[in-house]
Amino acid sequence: MNLKKLLIKESILPNLKPGSKEEIIRQIVDFVASSGKITDRDSAREAVLAREEKMSTGMQNGIAIPHGKSDSVDQLTVAVAICREGTDFDAMDGNPSRIFIMTLSPANRVGPHIQFLAEISKILSRPELSEKLIEASTTSEMLALLTA
Amino acid sequence: MTNLTHATVAAVHHAAEESSHSITHMMVHLMIQLAVIIIVAKSGGYLAQRFLKMPAVLGELASGMIIGPYALGGKIHLPTLGTLFAENHGFAASAELYGIATLASIILLFLAGLETDLASFLRYSVVGSVVGLGGLLASFILGDLIAVVWPGNGIDTFMDPAALFLGVISVATSVGITARILAEKRKMSSPEGVTILAGAVFDDVFGIVTLAIVMGMANVRLSGGEVNWIEIGIIAAKAIGFFVVVTALGLIFARKITSAIKQFKSKEMIVSTCFGLALLLAGLAEMAGLAMIIGAYIMGLALSRTDLAHEIEHHMRGTYNILVPIFFCVMGMMVDFTAMKPVLLFGSVYSLLAIASKVLGCGIPAWAMRFNLRGSIRIGLGMLPRGEVALIVAGIGLASGIIDQGIFGVSIMMTVITTLLAPPLLVKSFEGGSGLRKEMAGGSEDIQSIELTFPSRDITEFLINRFIRALQNEEFFVHHLQTDQPTYQVRKDDIMFVLIEDGMTLRINAPAEHQHIARLMLVEELLSLSDLLEATQKMEDLQSMGNNLLAGMF
Repeated sequence: MNLKKLLIKESILPNLKPGSKEEIIRQIVDFVASSGKITDRDSAREAVLAREEKMSTGMQNGIAIPHGKSDSVDQLTVAVAICREGTDFDAMDGNPSRIFIMTLSPANRVGPHIQFLAEISKILSRPELSEKLIEASTTSEMLALLTA
Repeated sequence: MTNLTHATVAAVHHAAEESSHSITHMMVHLMIQLAVIIIVAKSGGYLAQRFLKMPAVLGELASGMIIGPYALGGKIHLPTLGTLFAENHGFAASAELYGIATLASIILLFLAGLETDLASFLRYSVVGSVVGLGGLLASFILGDLIAVVWPGNGIDTFMDPAALFLGVISVATSVGITARILAEKRKMSSPEGVTILAGAVFDDVFGIVTLAIVMGMANVRLSGGEVNWIEIGIIAAKAIGFFVVVTALGLIFARKITSAIKQFKSKEMIVSTCFGLALLLAGLAEMAGLAMIIGAYIMGLALSRTDLAHEIEHHMRGTYNILVPIFFCVMGMMVDFTAMKPVLLFGSVYSLLAIASKVLGCGIPAWAMRFNLRGSIRIGLGMLPRGEVALIVAGIGLASGIIDQGIFGVSIMMTVITTLLAPPLLVKSFEGGSGLRKEMAGGSEDIQSIELTFPSRDITEFLINRFIRALQNEEFFVHHLQTDQPTYQVRKDDIMFVLIEDGMTLRINAPAEHQHIARLMLVEELLSLSDLLEATQKMEDLQSMGNNLLAGMF
């Protein structure tokens, strides 16, 4: 899967502020909506929150993958957000989450949606890479790390 | 002038009528021949499988021998059409029937290439190559030499085209028969099983390259030229070059080609285009002085590493099942029993050598590598059966006039004997302990299992079905393997894993690098299962639903 096609500099939010799960998701959805990719930000947020209610997407080692299916997007829409301070996202290992990969995909559309999450999780499963990502100062550096 | 015009028009009209009549006549004859062949060959294949526990190909061959022009077929006369199967210029099949058989042989080799497991071949390539090469050299040299030393057949040099063909015919192992036995005995992934399968891939690929070289040499000899070593070198380089270059190009560009073809968004279009390309490459191979089947095999091989392999195979299986028995039946029809009588003794010795060459040629290298005597014998016997490729090569030899009816019969005899002998001997050889000299050093495979057990088989089956649908929605190709346990192979680009329904347990065997996608998708499906359970709580009372359905029926 070619991550370069989906990930661009403009889909990276480098300074996510710590907060509750709802606030984190609101910030990321608003960020994506500001680029005009979401038609109805409330329903997009609800879709992601509904998925979180079933089971938290806070994984291990500071990584979280909030995602949802919503018709407020017409194609797979992705965002990478970094919260350097770390924030509680109800992670599996109880540690604060620092890297958030969010995907929104249309409800009944065929396409490699989960595969995107899988590919990026595979990259982030290398601890040295997630450290570098957090330390990176510009979105260009972050993009280069994710798509290298 | 007018009269002349009238006469011309009438003549043209008459000629057209006659030719259309003759074409119709020819086609009617062909259709009836095909009807007989398909029904008889399929029945023969079925009987061989069902009652003799033998591969269908043997039944199909035998059917051909029975209904061919040299047996029953030559004695049956049809009203207005003439003899059911008549000899045509010394050839057992009419041009149109042989055309259909040729198409079948192309489909056969295209699918053989498509099913080639290059990955496992590469993984076990060292021991597989040595075993395959040993068998190839031994069988080629012995097959050729016996023709040279046998008195009275007019073959007196190693480079005689007929001798070369006898060598090539005895090369190609038909691993299908062995694979079936290995699967039945659950020995497919044993060290011997893996070595046999890797060896057979080597044997297939290099058997085809050998055929290409021999075809080149035979063509030079047939056109009256003398083959010298420089020329052999050039021919070999050309054949290997064609094979290596086209296969490498195919493997490199397969992804690009398939992603272009995938733009069609229609599986029928995708499959047809790929098959069209196989036919095109078959034609190009023949034009390059090689055999058509070589081109078809290369196209299959190139596509074997793409995610389309199973889709093509699945869609072509029906055509394969109908057409390929025609090929074997036509091959059987070509056996002229009277021409075989004088060569029966030669055929027996040739068959015996074909057995010895594989058992020793593959067994000795296996023994030298890491197997004990038991393991080496298993490997040798596993490589023993010849089948489809031997028959195709023999057919090519007969059609091009390089070998005669007698030698062709000898080839069929060898194919039948090795195919008949292999299964019982192989089953017997797998009794007893390990075939390794010392146990293989720890499994280096990177495959890990993910297992989930549910409270009932129904839930497992339900979740697997949902999981498969989700995979298809993510544009994965899911292929149902014909095994005892419901097993699915999941592929997309270079991702591949296996999904198994084992009673109440769902198992996924995936390489570590592809576990992320399997795990994430499974989690989503588990969560959707809980949604579903919640939804059922909200359903109308089942009793009243049932009552509504049955109300007014009685």
